[in-house]
This record gives sequence, C-alpha cells and structure tokens, in this order.
Amino acid sequence: MSVFYGLYSAMLVGATPILLAAIGGAFTYYAGIFNIAMEGMMLVGAFCAVLGSFFLHSWILGIVCSIAGALVMAGIFVLFAVRLHTDEFLTGIALNLFAVGLTTFLLRDIFHVKGAFTDPRIVAIPAVTVPFLGQIPVVGRLVSGYNAIIYVALAVTVVAAYVIFRTSFGLRLRAAGYNAACLNSSGVQTPAIRVWSLMLCAICCGLAGAYLSLGSVRLFAENMSAGRGWISLAAVILVSGNPWGVGIISLLFGFFDGLTVFLQGSAIPTQFTAMIPYVATLVSLYFYSVRKRKA
Amino acid sequence: MRKQTFSGILGVLAALVIGGVVLALQKFNPFSTYGALLQYSLLSASGLSAMLSRAVPLVLTGLSASIAFGSGLNNLGQPGQLVIGALGATVVGLFVPLPAVALIPVCIAAAMVGGMLWSGLAAGLRRAFAMDEFIVTLMLNFIADYFALWAITYPLFDPAALSPMTRPIRTYAWLSEVGGINASVLYMVVATVLCWLLMSKGVSGYEWRIMGQNRLFARIGGCRVDAHYVRVMLVTGALAGLAGGLMVMGGPHRFVKGLGANYAWDGVMIAVVANNSIPGTFFYGLLFSMLQQGAIGMELVTAVPSEFIDVLQAIIVLVVVAGRVSLNLMFDRIATRKKLRESLQ
Repeated sequence: MSVFYGLYSAMLVGATPILLAAIGGAFTYYAGIFNIAMEGMMLVGAFCAVLGSFFLHSWILGIVCSIAGALVMAGIFVLFAVRLHTDEFLTGIALNLFAVGLTTFLLRDIFHVKGAFTDPRIVAIPAVTVPFLGQIPVVGRLVSGYNAIIYVALAVTVVAAYVIFRTSFGLRLRAAGYNAACLNSSGVQTPAIRVWSLMLCAICCGLAGAYLSLGSVRLFAENMSAGRGWISLAAVILVSGNPWGVGIISLLFGFFDGLTVFLQGSAIPTQFTAMIPYVATLVSLYFYSVRKRKA
Repeated sequence: MRKQTFSGILGVLAALVIGGVVLALQKFNPFSTYGALLQYSLLSASGLSAMLSRAVPLVLTGLSASIAFGSGLNNLGQPGQLVIGALGATVVGLFVPLPAVALIPVCIAAAMVGGMLWSGLAAGLRRAFAMDEFIVTLMLNFIADYFALWAITYPLFDPAALSPMTRPIRTYAWLSEVGGINASVLYMVVATVLCWLLMSKGVSGYEWRIMGQNRLFARIGGCRVDAHYVRVMLVTGALAGLAGGLMVMGGPHRFVKGLGANYAWDGVMIAVVANNSIPGTFFYGLLFSMLQQGAIGMELVTAVPSEFIDVLQAIIVLVVVAGRVSLNLMFDRIATRKKLRESLQ
C-alpha cells in the first residue's frame, strides 16, 4: 500500500508543473500562437520565485514575483511576435535561450553561486490539509496533505476549461486561432486576444515555475525546468489543447516521471529510467499520429 | 543579400549597445568589458586559436540547423545528433586498431554515421507513422544525453577517472595542431564550403530551398519531397554528428560527461540569426565563438560573470531577428516611395 501512495504522490509531483504549463500553452494554442516559450517562462518563474521568497520572506510574494517574471517574458514575446511581427517560433527559441542565460547570469550576479542556490531562508510553499475529507482513512491520504500549488493546478484546469468553452472571451480566443480574419471583421481585435492569451499563459507558467523551485524543493538550479516546457508543448499538441485532455496526459507523464524516481536504486541504471518521460512522449505521439492518419 | 548584411551588422551593434547599458546598470564599465572580450579572443594568438576551435561545433551545428530550417524541416535534434556522433567517433577511436592515415577518416565517418543514425531515426518515424519531427528530435535529444551518460558511466568508463568519462582514444585519431590552429578548424571550413556549394550551386540544394519556401509548390513542380526530406535529415544529422566527432578528436580526446551540453542550442540560435544562409551561419558562428571565448578572459580581468555572454547572445538573436523584419519593412516602404515618385514624374 505504501508503494501505491508513494507512486501516487510522485505522480502528482511530476504532473503539476507540466499540467500548469500545458494549460498555459492551451490558451495560446487556441489563440493560434505557436508558443514554444513555456520552457523559458517557467524557468524565469522558478528563479523569480526563489528571489521573492528569499528577499521578501514570504512564499506568497515568491509566487507573485514568479508570475511577474513570467509576465515580463510574455511581454517580450508580445513586443517581438505580435508588435514587430517576428516569427513566433524564432521568438520562442530566442526567449528560451534568453531565459537560460538570464537566470544563470543573475544566479551568479545576485547570489554569487554557480549551478544551484539553496538557503534555509527561502520560504517554501506549504502543504495543505483539506478539512473533513482529510480525516477519512484512505481517501484522506489521496486528497489531503499535498502542496498548495497542486490544488491550484486542479482549480486552474477547471477554470481554464470553463473560460475556453463557456465564456465569450473563450469564444473569441478560439476564433482568434480558428479564423482571425473573421474575428477581426466582427469587430474584435485579434492581436488583443492573443496578448491576453499570452498573459494567461505566463500566469500559468509562473505558477509552474514557483512549484518547481518552492514546491517540493527549496532551491533554484541552472536550467531546472529540464525540458518540462517541451513536454507540456507536446501534451498540448497531442490533445489539440483541450484542458481535460491536457489534465489526463499530464497525469500520465507525471506517472512516468514518478516511476523514474521510484525505480532509482533498482537494478536498472538510472540513466535509462530517466529516459522514461521522453520515451513516453514519443509513444503517445506515435498513437496520436497513427490515429490522426486513419481519420 | 546586402540588405541582410546591413541589418545584421546594425542589429549586432544595437545588441552590443543594449548589453553595454545592462553592464552600466550593474555598475560595470562597458568599454573595458568589451575590450577584455576582444583582447582574449581576436587580439591574442592563443585566444584566436581557442576561439577557432570553439567555433567548430558552433558552425557545424549551425550549418545543420540552417540547412534543415531552410528546407522547411524542424530538425531541432542537433544536440542529440552531436552527442551520438561524438560517441561514434569515441568508440571507433578506442577500439579500432588502424594506422593514423586510416583511423582519422574512419573516426570522422563514424561520427557522421552516428549523427545520421539519430536524425535518420526521426526521419524514419516521420515517414512510417507521420510523427512530427519537431517533437521527435527534441525528445531524442534527452534520450541521447542519457544514453551517452550511461555509456560513459558503465561500459566505456575509465576506471582511473573520478567523474564519468571514457579512456582517451588512440593517439592516431588525435587531430594535430597546424601552425597553432587545430586541424578540426580545417574540416569545419571544408564542410562550410561544401554546404555552400550544395545549397547555392547544386540542383538538390535548389530543390531543398524551394521545398523550404513552399512544400506544395515544390511537389507540384516535380521535386520528390519525401525522398528529399529523408536526405535533408541525414545530411543535417551528419553535420551535427561531425561536430561531435571533431570535438572529441580535436579537444579532450575522450568523451567527457557534459560534452556538448554548452553547445546545446547554439546551432539553432546561429541558424536563426543567420536566417538560414550558409555564409551568415559561418560568420555568426565565429562571432558567437568569439564572445564565448572572450568571456573567459573577461571574467578574469573584469568582475563581470562570464554568464553575461549568454544574455548578450540572446539579446543579439532577438534584436537581429526583429531588426531584420522591421528594416525590411522600412526598405520596402522607401523603395515603394521612390518608385512612386519616379512614376509620377
């Protein structure tokens, strides 16, 4: 039973950052932006979270800083891709590189360390005990006692699904990606909708970044997003942006990620277990492509 | 072409000014920083030689990305292809007993085959199952990284070493220094010239470029796009693999943990700023290697952390790319006005 709980919580830990970033990616996907900057936004978010938490002694301000950092990245994306009509793909690549460079530079410049920064003065995001439900024997362990951001991620998924499919903003968002000319002719500025979608994406990626650096650990390491932004991009493409689909696929990746942690110390070399999430992405891409081809 | 060169130079200068402002805001002297950067790369013999060696993987992965993007392929797998190529050269260099005349070409071939294997895998998945190479090559990068780490931690591990690395390859496979410059630089220049001939003089290069501009048009015009697709993947994989092989043979002579990690995205970045032009890739590759090499000296002389260069590189990419689009718009507008005036007279 403890094996099951261990795997279960490892799955949630692995799934949360991918889920948050992928929901952010879903907004831009629907708005018709080829946004690959999630990786960079998440990384800057993770750094700003540590920055805020360390200097302001509060995890809430850490999250605020993290979102602010990601928003600045989104602002640069807007400036180049929406205003100056630079290619979205190129802007995304440049932003991701900028994020790696900027965070390693600032890590060195502000904290005077190379590689990773950790300090007892960094305030982590606490775990939350759910009242009532947490008291029930088996269910309690499944729903209670996890990091606050995990619950936020769940809420974000539900809200995203509601906003995208049930509100007028969501309709405009989908129209911006589906037929921008049509949306323009009905009096809505497509660029404005795209800017909003990028802002929403940045907020989600900021939360994902804060979870990375202040959630299960209290540190910032160089390039700590480690390809999660890319996996979340793959998740968005695989389910064509649907938030519920994103949720399921993130849990799947989280499971494989958890399996990685779980298989450490077994006979299989860690280098092979570490490949699992990436191989899983390829396998799910295989099923997606085969299905799409038949259709 | 001239417009590109002009906007490129202007963009780099603008980026340097922005970088200077960033430095000044951090209370560093921008002039002495840039001075140190030049001093330790272009202006000293040892710096220049190190800078040229450093340019080898940058230019080669840049060429790989340039040809791929220029042909309309999203091959983002240069890091993985580089690592597998380096592994191929290392394995041959370790275990194949051949004299120097034969071993060096065989090692280089092994590196290119390694890279082709990795990009060919992505091409095969695309052809067989219509899997998008964009995600496949990205994921293969991570898989290649872990695979290489396993290979140098277990089967190829050097028992005398403290961190994961292989034993040194046979000395016959070492690339020597010619007049203070590593022979790998020569291979890089040759590869660049060949790529340039291929892309701007050859028939297949022409067809590839057309494919990059409009795949449908290319197909209707009679290009065999599917066959070309596989060929481009293989060529670009071979270039990235070559980069890895030359790094091992010219540099540490063994596969060290983290090899290629620093060059991971540089190839893509260089192709992006160069707008997929082959000469552009070559010059930006040299520029970025100059910055990276100079950064080491800059850190010694001034207090600026060498990571500043990573920021500066990203600024260059953004400013040059955005500047190109805006400048082109401006040039077009000026040209239109001129035409209009002429036709009115």
